[in-house]
Amino acid sequence: MSRADKVKAVVTPDVPQNAAIFAQDLNFVYNAKSNFAKQALSHIDLTVNKGEFVAIVGHTGSGKTTFVQHLNALIRVQSGYLNVLGADLSARKPDLKALRRQVGMVFQYPEYQLFADTVLEDVCFGLKNFGVDKDQREQMAQDALQLVGLDFDQIKSKSPFDLSGGEKRRVALAGVLAMKPQILVMDEPTAGLDPQGKAEVLSLVRSLNQQQGVTVLMVSHDMNEVYENADRVVVFRNGEVAFDMPPRQLFRNEAEIEAMNLEVPAMAAFCNELERHGVVLPDSCRTVDEVFAAVKALREVPNA
Amino acid sequence: MLRDVTFGQYYPGNSFVHRMDARIKLVLTLLFMVGIFFVQSFAVFGFVTVFLLAVIFISQVPLRSVLRSVKGIVVLLVLTAVLNVFFAKGATPAEQPLWSWWKIEIYANGLKQAAKIFLRLVYLVIGSSVLTLTTTPVDLTHAVESLLKPLRVIKFPVHEFALIMSLTLSFIPSLIEETDRIIRAQKARGADFDTGGLIKRAKAFVPILIPLLVGGFRRAEELANAMNSRCYEGATKRTCMRVMKLGWRDYVAAFVTVAFFAGIFVLYAMRGSWGGVTWLYF
Ligand SMILES: Nc1ncnc2c1ncn2[C@@H]1O[C@H](COP(=O)(O)OP(=O)(O)O)[C@@H](O)[C@H]1O
Ligand SMILES: [Mg+2]
Repeated sequence: MSRADKVKAVVTPDVPQNAAIFAQDLNFVYNAKSNFAKQALSHIDLTVNKGEFVAIVGHTGSGKTTFVQHLNALIRVQSGYLNVLGADLSARKPDLKALRRQVGMVFQYPEYQLFADTVLEDVCFGLKNFGVDKDQREQMAQDALQLVGLDFDQIKSKSPFDLSGGEKRRVALAGVLAMKPQILVMDEPTAGLDPQGKAEVLSLVRSLNQQQGVTVLMVSHDMNEVYENADRVVVFRNGEVAFDMPPRQLFRNEAEIEAMNLEVPAMAAFCNELERHGVVLPDSCRTVDEVFAAVKALREVPNA
Repeated sequence: MLRDVTFGQYYPGNSFVHRMDARIKLVLTLLFMVGIFFVQSFAVFGFVTVFLLAVIFISQVPLRSVLRSVKGIVVLLVLTAVLNVFFAKGATPAEQPLWSWWKIEIYANGLKQAAKIFLRLVYLVIGSSVLTLTTTPVDLTHAVESLLKPLRVIKFPVHEFALIMSLTLSFIPSLIEETDRIIRAQKARGADFDTGGLIKRAKAFVPILIPLLVGGFRRAEELANAMNSRCYEGATKRTCMRVMKLGWRDYVAAFVTVAFFAGIFVLYAMRGSWGGVTWLYF
């Protein structure tokens, strides 16, 4: 074993078998070595398992975007270790094409990246870059557009710039989903949408997660949607992971949540209040319907 | 990354220089730029260096930040200086070239001239970056507007000119940020800007340029709407929120700088007649 191998063996941590994303002691400084240096991430340890739906929340400027852009090697690792789907991103030359195909990244306001003459062409952009042949491309684009709830035949030859805001967002989403990524990373995908549009995007993401086993990592400012959809919530504070736990447990700490300028979701506040009155529901009850059913079931059990 | 471009980057601070009136700073910078062309000898360049270093020291901007503005164009400056070496002749017809080959002759005088031209250009860049490092773009635009006011007499749209200038300055950072974002978004979709022939690379920019243009027009329209909805009307009877007023700092700085360059003009005017003090004219 050469010296270099030994050093490497010491540094490379064991990546858990089931991890889709594994970060250890990840640090990032913007404008390092200048007077404007800004530590955006410090000592991030985070594991996301395959098939999980994880939400990242935190105040503006807490480093959420910086972190998620690492996952696609849009930002290169400065220090620490990052492994995404078995690829070591701290290595000097990771295979970017393969990585970017497997990790679909939906940016904040993705509709601002549309550029092609027609919707079809725009959705096919990624597929073309990743070398999918022409016939297959069209089929995959059609599937993706249908997945996001757009009528393929009606929309395929329209200009993306003539669509409504919600439609643009969905076309942009289709452009990422068409590549059938294994991990879907989304930076505030519902920001600026109306409630109906939000619900549609979320139900789409949930069904991808539950039916196709896509691992989802979603940055969000809407605690209600986080509470109802995520398996686990990671709270960023000043570039550090402040909390990493299932949503029900997290939002029991009302005081701490509010101290970080985050809001307690309505249903969490409701359940917390119930608990203060001695009514404890299972942790899995988070939506209105689930809570309603659980409360009803409790009432129907004869008091012991 | 694109953001690393330091375009007239303001270095926040509260020093003597930062707190000076932007108009005075602008005028004194112009005086400096003109004055530097009257510097004829290395000895006087030495005085100017001390003067500049003193200003930078007082402004509390790290020397590194100031020099970064030179770094970007140092190749251009060196090239200019080197070209000068080839075109300069001897100081006197009697001077022999140090080196000659075919039609190219290099004189000691040429080297001296080239070094001076290089210094002059570097000091020009440093001088102007001290201005932009210590003055916010907003203050700078106000200063320009205020100094151009006399041109209103000839119907020059001074206010509109200043508005265009401030809009341009404020759009640059957001445009850079937007470009950065779009490049990343397209890279995430597998776009490749670094390989392939010229045509392929040129084509690769379409997915960046189009969203950038669309976004630029959208911003411009939003801004126009925002201004219209606040009943914005050109120059008619507008006042400033912060009125610029000259303070003691401005008088002191103006006095020192003017005196310094007056000295340089005197030396320049008297060149040749001070035969005894040759070092001053080396
Ligand atoms: N390109 C950049 N250059 C310099 N600083 C940046 C850049 N992007 C983000 N930052 C800074 O890094 C910190 C984290 O930013 P970001 O990851 O965008 O946070 P979030 O997405 O949680 O709002 C912020 O303080 C921000 O100002
Ligand atoms: Mg962000």
